[in-house]
Amino acid sequence: MITRQFGSEVRWMLRRPRTIIGLFGLVLVPIIISFGIWTAGEGSDGPPGLGAILQGNGMVVPIFTLFLSLNLLLPLVASIWAADGLAGEAQHGTLRGLLVAPVSRVRLLFVKLFGLTAMSLFAVTLMAVVGIIAGTAFLGTNGMMTLSGTTLTTGEGLLRIALFIILVTFQMVSIGAVALAVSATTEHPLVVQAATMTTIIVFQVLGQFSSLDWLHPFLITTGFPGLIDVMRDPIPTGQIWDSTLLAGCYLLIGTGLAAMRLITKDS
Amino acid sequence: MINRKVTLAAAAAGVVTGAAGLSLLAMPAGAGQPPSLPAVSAETLVEQVLTAKPAAFGGTVEVDNKLGLPAISEIPQLADGKHSARIWTDGNGKLRLALPNGQSEQTIVDDGKTTWSWNSQDNEVTKSEHKADPRPDKEQAQEQKAVDPATAAKEIVTQTKEFSDITVDGTARVANRAAYELVLTPKASEKTLVREVRIAVDSELKMPLRVAVLTNGAAEPAGTVGFSSINVGPQDPKLFEFTPPANAKVTTPEAKEAEAREKLPEAGLEAALQGEDPQLFGTGWDTVIGGRIPAEAMTQVPAEAQGLVDRFTKKVSGSWGSGKLFTTKVATILIADDGRVVAGAVPEQVLFDTIGQVK
Repeated sequence: MITRQFGSEVRWMLRRPRTIIGLFGLVLVPIIISFGIWTAGEGSDGPPGLGAILQGNGMVVPIFTLFLSLNLLLPLVASIWAADGLAGEAQHGTLRGLLVAPVSRVRLLFVKLFGLTAMSLFAVTLMAVVGIIAGTAFLGTNGMMTLSGTTLTTGEGLLRIALFIILVTFQMVSIGAVALAVSATTEHPLVVQAATMTTIIVFQVLGQFSSLDWLHPFLITTGFPGLIDVMRDPIPTGQIWDSTLLAGCYLLIGTGLAAMRLITKDS
Repeated sequence: MINRKVTLAAAAAGVVTGAAGLSLLAMPAGAGQPPSLPAVSAETLVEQVLTAKPAAFGGTVEVDNKLGLPAISEIPQLADGKHSARIWTDGNGKLRLALPNGQSEQTIVDDGKTTWSWNSQDNEVTKSEHKADPRPDKEQAQEQKAVDPATAAKEIVTQTKEFSDITVDGTARVANRAAYELVLTPKASEKTLVREVRIAVDSELKMPLRVAVLTNGAAEPAGTVGFSSINVGPQDPKLFEFTPPANAKVTTPEAKEAEAREKLPEAGLEAALQGEDPQLFGTGWDTVIGGRIPAEAMTQVPAEAQGLVDRFTKKVSGSWGSGKLFTTKVATILIADDGRVVAGAVPEQVLFDTIGQVK
């Protein structure tokens, strides 16, 4: 029963034209990055940080792409899906039907959350796969060189990419869960997207001020840069755990608030 | 209806748990109860530290720096703020250091024969064979000293034994290991900026786990170097091997140094200072090191370096002449306009009194 609902939810999300266009836009990112690094050529000063080791190291492209996209692009995508999930249905009048149906409202929320997770995982994996292909095609590859100067075998490199996909997806789902809570309170999907993106941007701005450093541990965006540790060898787990636990707290708060709102909502 | 209330309560509990988790994550980790350890005399402890056999371990070192040093692009780890480094050693001279700097990383591997230094920012490996060239080794040693609390504390203890009171001031828990707090206090006659140096010594390995320097008039340490996590025991031998990545540029330290000299004005100044034998004045904590920068080096300083110097120093003058004073919390440097230089962990007045003796 619930698996059928999960399936129909994902099919419903995938069938929308805007999803297809969005996914197409997402896969352009790794291609543009690979092309850009390739045209910059050997010996040029690459972008700082992870970008500096991209030359001749195509397997890092998926990680670089996701790391960059995590700041704005992926939260935007998560917020769109969360907005469509509840606010979008409310706008079309279809949510009313779901709320009066003899299906538990908590189950409805979990179906929406599952849709969000599945689509986030799909989008992130798609970007990573295109990143591997584009990176290898444009920049070549010889295993995967880490930030620590060690070279991993292709298999180990793929494992790192898989780990990063999971970590990034989890961050996306956590942001999406908070967006779902907003989505449960309104009939206007745009409000959800605007609220989510404003929050993410404001968080990043707040993160720039060292005078507000007491606030930083509460901001989900504080955890983003630490995920780069996946590219160090051996992997330091401290920051990765911290980021993931931080996102987990947001997931709990978002899901809880969304559930509270849905349960008390007049149908 | 009851069912709805239960679900609502569960959802609310989820929100509360999440919020509590956030606050828990934001709280700095507590130091924990200080462990109870058998009493030990300060002298015995110092001796044990000095004779302790180096252990094999891997760990993360946190540097909390409030010294007031300017940021130098080559050694970002020295700039004010918190920095961390990961360190592995097999206890027999093999070593691996990972110094993250933002998104990039510097890795230093000493495999016993060769020291490799890798910087992800410029995809460059510096390779130095041990015997062929002793100078980079010395540099390497200095670099390790800056980060590895083991070496740092040993150095301090040896140098200050005769000019300081050494006491054991209770115990502490550092990186989840029981440690004695060894405290060095400069004797009252010492004219120094340093109030005390606290060294947490591991109760089993007798290895310093944390070094904190406290200065006069400040409750918080000016600088702390210590392990935030450590696992003692044999480390993966693979960590002490390094193969330069396929497309990395491999250079020697000599080539690198020549390049650095052109690029960095500070390097020129350093070379100028090294030309003269440094002169030492006084003993113990208020030792002042003096030297003279050759006149040509003084005039050759490029404008940008001059700007850098002016930004971090203040102009001073006295019966000894005039010059520039550079102050940090633990050290003061005085550069006279005629090229005389004195420096020490002392208040500026001591430097004014000493600079006349520089030959």
